[in-house]
Amino acid sequence: MPGIVIDGQALEAADGQTVMEAARAHGITIPALCWHPALSVDGSCRVCMVEVEGRGLAIACNLPVREGLAVLTDSEAVRAQRKLTLQFLTLNHPVDCGICDKAGECLLQDYHYAYNATPSVSNEPKLHATKHYSLGERIVLDNERCILCSRCVRFTREVSGSHVLGIEQRGDTSLIRPAAGRSLDEDPYSDNVIDLCPVGALLSRRFLHQSRVWYLTATPSICPGCARGCTVDVWHRRPDWQLQAVATHRNHAIARVTPRENPAVNGPWICNKGRDLADLLERLRALQPMVAGVPATLEEAMAAAREAIAAARHPLALVSTWGSNEELEAFKEHLGPLFTCRVKADHQRGPGEPGDDGLLIRADKNPNTSRARALFGEAPADTPGDTDLVLVWGEGFDGSTLPAGATTILLGSFEAPENVTAAVFIPLSILTERAGHYTNFEGVVSGFAPCFPAPATVTHAEELFPRLVPEGGRP
Amino acid sequence: MTPARVLMNFEVTATSHTLEAYRARGGYQALEKALRTLKPEDVTQMIMESGLQGRGGAAFPAGRKWQGIDPYDGQPHYLVANADEGEPGTFKDRWVLEYSPHTLLESMAIAAYSLGARHNFIYIRGEYDLPYRRLAAAVEEAYGAGLLGENILGSGFATDIFVFRGAGAYVCGEASSLLGSIEGSRAYPRNRPPRMTVSGLFGRPTVVNNVETLSTIAWIVDHGAAAFRAIGTPTSPGTRLLSVSGHVRRPGVYEVELGYAWGRFLHEDCGGIPGDRPLKAVIPGGISSQVLTGKDAKVLTADEMEGLTLDHDVLRKAGSSLGSGGMIVIAEGTCMVRLLQIMLRFYHHESCGQCTPCREGTGWMHRIIDRIVAGDGRPEDLERLYTIARANDGTTICGLGDAAGYATVAMLDNFGDEFAYFVEHKRSRHQGNIECPAS
Amino acid sequence: MKHLIPELEALKRRLPPHQDGVLVLPALRRIQEDRGFIADEDIDGLVEWLGIPRIQVEEVLSFYSMLRRAPVGAWHLQVCHNVSCSMHGAERLLAHLEERLGIACGETTADGRFTLSTVECLGACGGAPVVRVNEAYREALSVEAVDALLEELAGAAPPDTPGGWV
Ligand SMILES: Cc1cc2nc3c(=O)[nH]c(=O)nc-3n(C[C@H](O)[C@H](O)[C@H](O)COP(=O)(O)O)c2cc1C
Ligand code: SF4
Ligand code: SF4
Ligand code: FES
Repeated sequence: MPGIVIDGQALEAADGQTVMEAARAHGITIPALCWHPALSVDGSCRVCMVEVEGRGLAIACNLPVREGLAVLTDSEAVRAQRKLTLQFLTLNHPVDCGICDKAGECLLQDYHYAYNATPSVSNEPKLHATKHYSLGERIVLDNERCILCSRCVRFTREVSGSHVLGIEQRGDTSLIRPAAGRSLDEDPYSDNVIDLCPVGALLSRRFLHQSRVWYLTATPSICPGCARGCTVDVWHRRPDWQLQAVATHRNHAIARVTPRENPAVNGPWICNKGRDLADLLERLRALQPMVAGVPATLEEAMAAAREAIAAARHPLALVSTWGSNEELEAFKEHLGPLFTCRVKADHQRGPGEPGDDGLLIRADKNPNTSRARALFGEAPADTPGDTDLVLVWGEGFDGSTLPAGATTILLGSFEAPENVTAAVFIPLSILTERAGHYTNFEGVVSGFAPCFPAPATVTHAEELFPRLVPEGGRP
Repeated sequence: MTPARVLMNFEVTATSHTLEAYRARGGYQALEKALRTLKPEDVTQMIMESGLQGRGGAAFPAGRKWQGIDPYDGQPHYLVANADEGEPGTFKDRWVLEYSPHTLLESMAIAAYSLGARHNFIYIRGEYDLPYRRLAAAVEEAYGAGLLGENILGSGFATDIFVFRGAGAYVCGEASSLLGSIEGSRAYPRNRPPRMTVSGLFGRPTVVNNVETLSTIAWIVDHGAAAFRAIGTPTSPGTRLLSVSGHVRRPGVYEVELGYAWGRFLHEDCGGIPGDRPLKAVIPGGISSQVLTGKDAKVLTADEMEGLTLDHDVLRKAGSSLGSGGMIVIAEGTCMVRLLQIMLRFYHHESCGQCTPCREGTGWMHRIIDRIVAGDGRPEDLERLYTIARANDGTTICGLGDAAGYATVAMLDNFGDEFAYFVEHKRSRHQGNIECPAS
Repeated sequence: MKHLIPELEALKRRLPPHQDGVLVLPALRRIQEDRGFIADEDIDGLVEWLGIPRIQVEEVLSFYSMLRRAPVGAWHLQVCHNVSCSMHGAERLLAHLEERLGIACGETTADGRFTLSTVECLGACGGAPVVRVNEAYREALSVEAVDALLEELAGAAPPDTPGGWV
């Protein structure tokens, strides 16, 4: 445990740490562009320069701690060099923050204001490079904004292993490029480079020019895309910045999804499916309660359901693996005694979707199989021949397995043909409209919070379940 | 010319580079001596005692570098001869490769024995053609004669040498960049720590030495450390190969004993300046001479050169260095603005692009000086050049950024008035002339 | 490049085992010698043979000034214009060559015989000014000597691969 001194403050560092790591562990911020805690040390941006007392400047990110080491992070020499480094970084940078999605969360912008804050001293015309260079269906690259920190390159080598990106040419004509014939679409983790990029050089097509980030707020959530249950931030329009006249649907739409760092589950990353949460959650919603395909009030639908449950002799419940811990427990408590309960996979692995890949992605495409199985057992979700009522909670029910004469009660969130043919259909809220917890495949419990109010006609499963119990229970 | 010769100690003929000729002049006796009578650590000790300093630019003591490697630590070690010779003005290693390649091979075999290196590389710059062919032929001769490969000279010692050709990148002369080039990755110089003797080629302890440094080993083992120390000066033992070019009557490669008088060397050995023009300046050791050793100006003016001896210490004190031994002589009447323009174009062209100050700074300085030469200079340009140059001082991964800065600072410090004249009058004080007025 | 593999495999005998990346640059050089430039299919072949990511080959390829992705003329005249050569008239030589060949630096003559370019220091400053003609150095060239050189090359049989060994 070497003792070091940073800006006169004595602190204990851990063996093998760099000054950068030791400083951050003690809440001291040394600016860094190329350095990232989850990637190897590159040491090229030279922004993290500190003064080693008696020895001159050195980069903190590659400076090992040793007993008695004393560094200054804000000396005259450090300030002067940082200022110049920022002049260099913006020398050929377009400084087009006004139209850049990264503005507001750009490290270059922050550092410029913090450490330089003077106009360019250059009289030379700027060098130009490719703009809007396609890296596939998901990401575009602006080489003029790129500061060549190589974070994105290191990510594809050290984390995702796709080896798609590299730096071609040399000197000030160096360019981030994909290997010929390859695209970032092949990398199921590619969108992490958008967050990693300290500037606005790697941009999400999905989010391109959709919103200034300061109009957005992040709500902690969980990606339901697989059994990993990565913790995420769901970004959406801030309540105090709601759109009034145009595109008001955006007030209740997911603007983007980013990882919420969590060492116990997903580290700093998520896969692209998590980025595309809107594809899962913003499908056409089922908002109308129905009895035998005829629109009904929620009360009427619940009454019909209670009646069917009371009448059934061999009722089967197919429990959702997308239900939260709270909902599953509520189901168990209230409806469990009335049904033979089976756990159903709401979602199956789609064609071309990765299975267990050793990084994050799991073959089980449901977030709460773990808790559901713990409560309802491992038995397969098939339908015995004498079943006369099936209560289906969530998606993934194959109607063709329904025995002749049996009826169904469907509790779901999305538009589906079965909704109309069911005896009863009751619409439920979705992940972004309620709070709850999921238990991932390793038993780690994480929580999610509501982003938007639920539509008036849908109900929360947790509240619904007790109200489905027939008066006096089932005979 | 001093009679003390370590490398140029034979008459060059059409066949003097062959194994037969080399053996006839006592070649490979040192290897035999080392393998039969010395332990690996004895050889390192001998190099340590000889005081041999690196000839690639930094004049780092070779023995100290070697001591960073424990030949018995049970892991692979590598030895790499740096024959990239990219420093403008430098062409002295080429002399060894062309005329005495076996000196290098024998010395490398001894060094490999001392360092416990089973595999060795010679990294030769990609453009070299004849030097490569001579070297490659010598390697085959040595293998054929059992001087490389398995069981060398019946000693049981085995080592291989692979001649690796570069492909046109000055930065690959920087030792860690060179290793990346060999590994087949982007040849970016690497941050220290770790030192290369801790983690070098393929992550293993590695020694990189210049061709001339290594080629001296056979002589030292042959004659002993004391004999080597007897040559040169106490702080700069031995001789150096100097490659001389520019405005000089007899350009070429010379071996001089360290401590040799500069004036005598220029006027007698090199024949002075054509047309007996007065001397304006000297770049003593490659246009980056300064980068590898110190921090001050590196172009020496005629007055500063007067009375100097060619010696690491003396030149360091004079604010420059013997660097890579690539000496460029500049006659009075030469436009220094144009010369700096060429240098800055070079650094801009060769920056690997990794470090922010070098990637952006070399191009920026190049564009400024191009503008000055085009007659579009602004009063603030010179101050700007200073600022950019200084921002590269000790702030980059390798010495290229520093070198570009030093070249600029030295020129501006010594010839500032000439630059100011160009900016003010929008033309060169010397009509943009860079050729020797008399040639 | 497939036909070069046996020859490249043979290089492994003096190399440390299991370090196949070492062969990237030697292979690229050899391919260029063979074809005159490096084609897409060569990169494919190399990637397949060495089992390395394609981006690695592309990064290496684009880093070095000697490696090229397109053919040059039969004779590639590379004029050194670094300090020592410029101090001996390299700039005049270049201008003269441009005029004689009727092309600008970086271009190839319409008949495909000559490509003209500049290079940085070739490590032959003692023989300044130097022009590298394909693989070989021609040193201490005057304008007259360059004329003689063009004459000589005009009469010579072109090399098997453009810009390659004679
Ligand atoms: C940009 C740059 C280029 C260099 N080029 C060469 C070179 O061409 N040849 C060389 O021997 N050393 C060169 N060096 C120095 C090497 O990094 C290294 O110090 C040297 O090869 C060590 O050998 P020595 O100790 O025997 O001198 C260069 C250094 C830098 C920073
Ligand atoms: S694109 Fe972004 S992450 Fe990649 S090197 Fe450029 S600045 Fe860094
Ligand atoms: S100083 Fe320049 S050449 Fe050296 S590593 Fe940095 S960018 Fe590359
Ligand atoms: S963060 Fe240390 S050099 Fe970039």
